[in-house]
Order: sequence, then C-alpha cells, then structure tokens
Amino acid sequence: MQTASLAFRNLFRNTRRTVLTVMLIGFSLTALIAFDGVMRGMITLMVDNITGTLTGEAQIHRAGYRENLDVDLYIDDAGEIEDRLQQDSSLRAFAPRVISGAMISSSYNVGAGIVYGIDAELEQGISKVRDAVVDGEYLSGGESELLIGLSMAELLEVGLGDRIVLTLSEVDDGELAQALFRVSGIVEFGLRELDENFAFINIASARQVLGMTDQQAHEFALNFITPLTMTNTDSALLEELNGEEIEALNWLELNPDISLILELSRYSSLMIGAVLFLLASLGVINSMFMSIYERIYEFGVIKAIGTRPRDIRKLILYEAFFIALISCGMGLLLGAAIGAYTSSSGIAFGEMEFSGIALNNAIFSEFHPIQFTQFPVYVVLLTVVAAIYPARFAARIIPSEALQRSL
Amino acid sequence: MTAVISSTDVCRFFGDEEATLVKAVDHVSIEIERGEFTAIVGPSGSGKTTLLHLIGGLDNPTSGAVHLSGTNIAEMTGTALSDFRRDHIGFIFQAYNLIPVFSAEENIEYIMLLQGVDAAERKRRVAAMLAQVGLEGLGDRRPNKLSGGQQQRVAIARAMVSHPEIILADEPTANLDSKTGIALLDLMKELNEKHNMTFVFSTHDEKIMKRASRLIHMLDGKIDLDESK
Repeated sequence: MQTASLAFRNLFRNTRRTVLTVMLIGFSLTALIAFDGVMRGMITLMVDNITGTLTGEAQIHRAGYRENLDVDLYIDDAGEIEDRLQQDSSLRAFAPRVISGAMISSSYNVGAGIVYGIDAELEQGISKVRDAVVDGEYLSGGESELLIGLSMAELLEVGLGDRIVLTLSEVDDGELAQALFRVSGIVEFGLRELDENFAFINIASARQVLGMTDQQAHEFALNFITPLTMTNTDSALLEELNGEEIEALNWLELNPDISLILELSRYSSLMIGAVLFLLASLGVINSMFMSIYERIYEFGVIKAIGTRPRDIRKLILYEAFFIALISCGMGLLLGAAIGAYTSSSGIAFGEMEFSGIALNNAIFSEFHPIQFTQFPVYVVLLTVVAAIYPARFAARIIPSEALQRSL
Repeated sequence: MTAVISSTDVCRFFGDEEATLVKAVDHVSIEIERGEFTAIVGPSGSGKTTLLHLIGGLDNPTSGAVHLSGTNIAEMTGTALSDFRRDHIGFIFQAYNLIPVFSAEENIEYIMLLQGVDAAERKRRVAAMLAQVGLEGLGDRRPNKLSGGQQQRVAIARAMVSHPEIILADEPTANLDSKTGIALLDLMKELNEKHNMTFVFSTHDEKIMKRASRLIHMLDGKIDLDESK
C-alpha cells in the first residue's frame, strides 16, 4: 500500500509533466472514442443508404437472374411467394418488382436505362423512391405515370408532363414493345447511378408492357422488423425460401464488394487506435524516463536503505497505472461529451458518394459500450506495458552511481 | 572486542585499460569494532566515499572481501543485498536524502514497512525516534517544510529506527551551518554512546574529526594513516 501511496503522491511532484502525459493519453482515448463513434455512425449511414435507398435488407429472385438481369428469368409463382411473405411475422415490409433494361426516348433525346415496375404502396415500406421525388408527384397507380432520375431528365430534356417512350423486349418471345408515359415526377437520390439510369413506373404497367401476368415478378425486396445489420444477417425466412429455383439473399450477399469495404471500415478504428496508442506509449516511456532521471538521487537513497529492485519496479508501474487511470477519466469524459454532441448534431460532410454508396446525410456518431469498457482497459494495459522498460531501468540503478551522479 | 566491519584487501578500480585505470580503493584492509565512532578522512578523490559505499554494500569491489557482522557482502547481489542493507545498515547522506512527498513520520516509517514491522510497533518507534532527535510535533511536516538541520535529524531517525548494527554517514554535515552541524554530531555521538551503535563517517569536516574515536586517513585509494584517540 505504501508503494501505491508513494506512487500516487509522486504524480504531483512535477504537475506540469503529469498533466501533459495525462493529456497525451487522455486525448488519445478521446480521439479513439470519437473516431470509433463516427465510424460506427458512418457504417450505420452506409448500411441505411444501401438497404434503404432501393435494395432493401434482402431480395428474392429467380436463380440466375442476378448474373445478367435476364428478363426471362422471372419468378413465375410470385403470388405464392407473396402469400408466404404476407404470413411471415419477421417481415416489416416487402415489395414486388418488375425490372427491365429499356431505351428511354423523349422528343429531344434518347438514352438507355433500367425501368423498375413498382407497387406504389408497398414500395414505400422498402425504398426511398417516394422521398426522392424532388418535383411532381409520386406514383399513384395511374397507367402512364413515370418517375425519372434528375440527371436522365436533363439528358432527355424533359420536365413534368412531358412524354417518354419506353422501348423494351417482352419476356419469353423477345418481341420489342413500346409504351408511352408522361413524366409525373423527377427523382433525385443523390447517387449518380440511380439519377442517371433509372426510371420507375407502376408495376401493372410494367407487367403489361413486358407481357407478364400479375402472378409474375423479377424481384421481391424485403425489410425485416429486426433489421439485418452487418453482424446480424441470419434469417430463417431467407433460408427457407432459398432453393434450386429461388435465390433469397441478404443485402451483404447482394453487395459483396460493399461488405468488404464495411469490414475494412470496422477495422479502421483498430488501426487508428494502434497508431494513437503507439504514439501515446512512446510519450509515456519518455515521460517516465524524464521522471526517473529527475529522481535518480532519490532512487539511489531508497535503494541504499533497502528497497528491493522489485519494489522500485512496482513503484514505477503504479505511477503509470495511476497516470492511466486519471487519463482514462479525462478521456472518457471528453469522449462522452464529443460523442454526445456529434450524436445529436451530426457531422455534415455534404453530399458524397463512397464506393457507390451515397452519404448525403449528416453522420451521427454512435456510442457503443466497448468505447467505455474495453478502450479504457486497453489504455491502462498499454500504459502499464509501456512503463515496464523504464521500470526495469529504475530497478537496475546502482545506488553508488546514482548517489554520486547527482551530487 | 569483535570486528563488526572487516575489509580484506579490498579494491575498487574504474576503467578497463591500464592507462585510464582509476584505483579508487586500492588493497584496503580495515577492521572496525562495535561501538566505534570512526571517520574516514582525506582530500577529495582519496577514495573515502568509495570505501564507505563498499562497506555499505552500495557498490561491489573489484576484488577482496567485505564482511559485515561475519557476512561477506561482496558476494551478495540483488534482493539479498537489499535485504541485508535494510536489516543491518543505516545510511545518512548529504542533504536531499528524504522522500519529498512523505512526511517526516512517513520517511522514518518507510524502512520499517520494508521490514514488515506491524503498524502499532511502527507508530511507537517513530514517536520514540522523533523524540530522541528532538523533532516532537514536527512529524507531519514534509521535508520542504523542515530546515536543513531538521531534515538531517529525520535522516538520522530513519537510519536508526530499524536498529541497525552500523550507521554509515557520507558527509552528513556538508550542507549544514556550523551550529546545526555541531548539534547533529553531538546527537549522533550521544546515540553512539547510549546504544553502542557503530558509526562510520566519510568526511573532511574538522568537527567530525574532533569527535571521532578513530581516524582513518585515505590518500590515493590507500590507507595513509589509521589513528585511534
């Protein structure tokens, strides 16, 4: 106990150095908590944007459809699947879709794009198509309604009420079919791919143009009551639906590249933490050595009167331990304050797209228990480990040399 | 009389090459008996402090043996040597030898904590030592709130509280004014006579030389003269 008491009191002998060391370690912890919070917020935003913009948390297709989006590979018994989905209690929402590549023409220009036939009502539970309407109205079920991406509307030089002709291939026989639509709304997702290439019409119109029955669809998009997150992607429903004919995949399986990016983002906290604490550890070593050199005569005296080398080691390690504890207190308080601010106010980065994922909203920092449990434990451990070298040095001081050196 | 300190042909050389070799202590053999009040004297660089460090186990000799109460401490290292010093030797150095963040009481108590003496006994001995060195009522003061003389009194109390057989003092009056130095020496002489405790000084202070019962004169690492009064 006396060693601990002596170590604690020693911290206040050179208050300025102790404060600087505490700030170095404390700010490292604060930075790590803040960075981890922002990364978690960014991942949540990315996942929300991936699943919430259009994809949904999971999708059901005919096996092989995703390889080249062949319109002929539609789900023939979509009605049966729809019944099954309606009965499933784990689902929050689902929406059938008919999808086809199309030539999209206006009176002024022509472009290629992808046309989604959507159920105007059900789609609201899945995607942000309705929220993305920046001009005009969302689909109401009318036969000739069409929503077009902002960039595509500019390319085709069309506005609300203008005519659009879709030219596409009918399913099964591949015959070309044309249909006339009027622009009922302009959508802007903030994601280049969607804004330049996508158009949305009512699913009944899409089925009619493609020659599909109302029991057929290319895709079902699903959202669950307990959202499928990065760490929770298991679903009994998807497992049950998966078969030879049907492919039911979660959003991570649908976006394997993004999954890798998100995984890397998760580990970035670890990497930043390692760099921060390597620097902080060097600071601790430096500070401890300065403190030892300042007290070298005193170490000579206490060794002379019979303090064992291991007690000197303990003394230095206790000092490091107390510095780490004080630093953790400061780091946690500051980290919590910064986290509280950034989780309520958010950090606005403006509109940006990261690896095809739109990040057009502010990032709201997220608290996680490990920031306040594991991180401080790492800080204490690393600080004490960093002090082992100076502690060994102090324990090996030869009293006669220490006493003469400072006289 | 029994020799409590005995050095046999002890040498302490610094440096490896012959040209730069410093013979700080060169084949010194002495015997100091229990209860002696001995001063090792000599000019700066004569080797008196090195000899005191060798006797106190603060340094290991290049060759030779140093026996304290029959134990050859020249062969001891690490924890064993630390424990031996703790239990058998009391040290008094020049000023600044107290732990600055401890009070006078805690400084005196520290060595007994290392020895594992129980709390009640520690308290009793600290109070007794403070009274003996004339610092009653000042036990809760930290060193920076004590005068130089008072600090050295605390150092004497710390050196004596564990009841060592030998007290080694390296220039204990060097940083004190003449009056305080005399008072401290009188105190040490009194303790020496009262407890039959062996005191060995390294010094060139005339006041100590005057009070010492034996003077060992060192010159160039060797004993030049050994005189008993």
